[in-house]
Amino acid sequence: MVAKTRKKQEHTHPVFSRYNLRIHGGNMLFMLPALIIYIAVVLIPFFQGIPYSLTNWKSIISDKMIFVGLKNYTTLLTNKYFLDTFLNTFKFTAIYLLGANILGLFLAMILWRSSRFNNIVRTVMFMPFTVSLVGAAIVWSYVYTDIISSLFEVMSPLGCSSQVIGGMAVIAIWRDMGYCMLIYIAGLQSIPTEYYEAARVDGASSFQRIKHITLPLLIPAFTSNITLLLAWGLKVFDYPMAVARNMEAAKTTTMYVYDNIFGFSKAGLGQAAAIITTVVLLILTTAVSRMFRKLEVEA
Amino acid sequence: MKNDSFNLNNSEMKELILKISKIVVVIIIMLVVLIPFYISFNYSIKDHTEITNNRLALPENPTIQNFITVISENEQFLIGYKNSILNTIPTVLLLMVITSMASYVLARYSAKFYQLMYLVFIAGILIPFQCIMLPLYLNIYNTGLISTNLGFIIARTGLQISISILVVTGFVKSVPRDMEEAASIDGCNRFQAFWKIVFPLMKPVNATQLVLNTLFVWNDYNTAVVLLRSPESRTLPLAQIIYFNENTSELNLAFAFFGMAMIPILILYLSMQKHVVSGIMAGAVKG
Repeated sequence: MVAKTRKKQEHTHPVFSRYNLRIHGGNMLFMLPALIIYIAVVLIPFFQGIPYSLTNWKSIISDKMIFVGLKNYTTLLTNKYFLDTFLNTFKFTAIYLLGANILGLFLAMILWRSSRFNNIVRTVMFMPFTVSLVGAAIVWSYVYTDIISSLFEVMSPLGCSSQVIGGMAVIAIWRDMGYCMLIYIAGLQSIPTEYYEAARVDGASSFQRIKHITLPLLIPAFTSNITLLLAWGLKVFDYPMAVARNMEAAKTTTMYVYDNIFGFSKAGLGQAAAIITTVVLLILTTAVSRMFRKLEVEA
Repeated sequence: MKNDSFNLNNSEMKELILKISKIVVVIIIMLVVLIPFYISFNYSIKDHTEITNNRLALPENPTIQNFITVISENEQFLIGYKNSILNTIPTVLLLMVITSMASYVLARYSAKFYQLMYLVFIAGILIPFQCIMLPLYLNIYNTGLISTNLGFIIARTGLQISISILVVTGFVKSVPRDMEEAASIDGCNRFQAFWKIVFPLMKPVNATQLVLNTLFVWNDYNTAVVLLRSPESRTLPLAQIIYFNENTSELNLAFAFFGMAMIPILILYLSMQKHVVSGIMAGAVKG
């Protein structure tokens, strides 16, 4: 009731009325601390970076830089070495995204009902998420050498170029599938049980129930998981830095950026690579989340 | 009639088998998930000879000597621990205060302006750190805050705001509005009403963001490797990589290091796991 009258008041007051100024001014004060830090740390540097990417700036300790236009971008987009890092990143992201989501969904379907046993299992499944990425990578390098290698008599995937991406993706799946599971459980719990009962009365098989009720109503959970993991996957940095620092086959785009800016003294080029990475990430994530939003509406 | 009851038994049987196979599958997955934890724990309580002779079995004489050695002989460990604590606690508290205030407004007002502000805040999730790394490094360098706790705290807070606001805003939408209205009628100004009424109501989500943010900041490698350039300013993840690379022959020590770096977070998570699990689930659906 109170809320309703408040809404009405908001509408009847002219834009610059005292009331509006007080309310919205107050709101700004509430947002201000977060906004200032966010602008200073994220937004300003984001825009500052663009001009750097148009220069031939080399070492970040020197002041020498000349405007070179889009040269860095054309260099990068025709550079096989840089494009390969993209390929590596995509490969990693694809395996990681599919693996973590499929396993997370599978676990959620088994564990979505709340019971004591299920709650304990959920707690355990989420535990890897608390380990640092660096720590996870290091420990897994020993899981590979000491357990997998001696058990199956194969080489550790982190030691051979053709498997290193897969090997790192497994670590990432291990760490993040519990997170996916939680989101899917939340989605499953929000589906009203009456839907299933009605379908059962109508004689729908369990496969039909999954196809026509569960999956469509889970789309918000898919949207959230897939967009987030896509972004995390494309930003991958810690795993290769920790266990495959010197392997060409494990070089991701974020590592390429880091190496160029802080290692090889090619700051301008590195910043251009960073911006290309960001643009690709923005395009892919918006495309994917748009696609799922569309499905959401249709379902 | 007979046939019917036989069928029923059959389907009951099926259900039972399904249930048991589910539990078996779950337990197998759980054991696989726990292998890395087993390895780290196991390696960290063995002495040097045992780890070379018999790696995987549980130790015959478990020892805590490794932990003592790391603490007493490795300076980097103590420096890393000190820095990680000094960086994480202020960052997490600062985030809790500023994002709960901002999320409160973002969740309560639905005018176009606030929707836009929400999107601006959330957009940070999509900007990779590498894209702002160089300018951020320069700005922090120019203010003299490179390799300091303060510089790291400010940067890490800013980088964490997006995900924090995503989690908290979803929650605030579910907090009843009437209470703060009542408080404002009682003569509290909005600021007082927020701290007295709304902030306490946000306890569950603040617990969630506390654990999640602690996790992200404590485990951060990416920001640390760029902003903390001097040995005295290194945090645990930085020290950990260096230590592992230097001590491939002293695995027991390396894993003791790793275990001790992880324990505070693990304890925090296990003691507050209810809030984490429910908080992530709540934020996911509404966010």
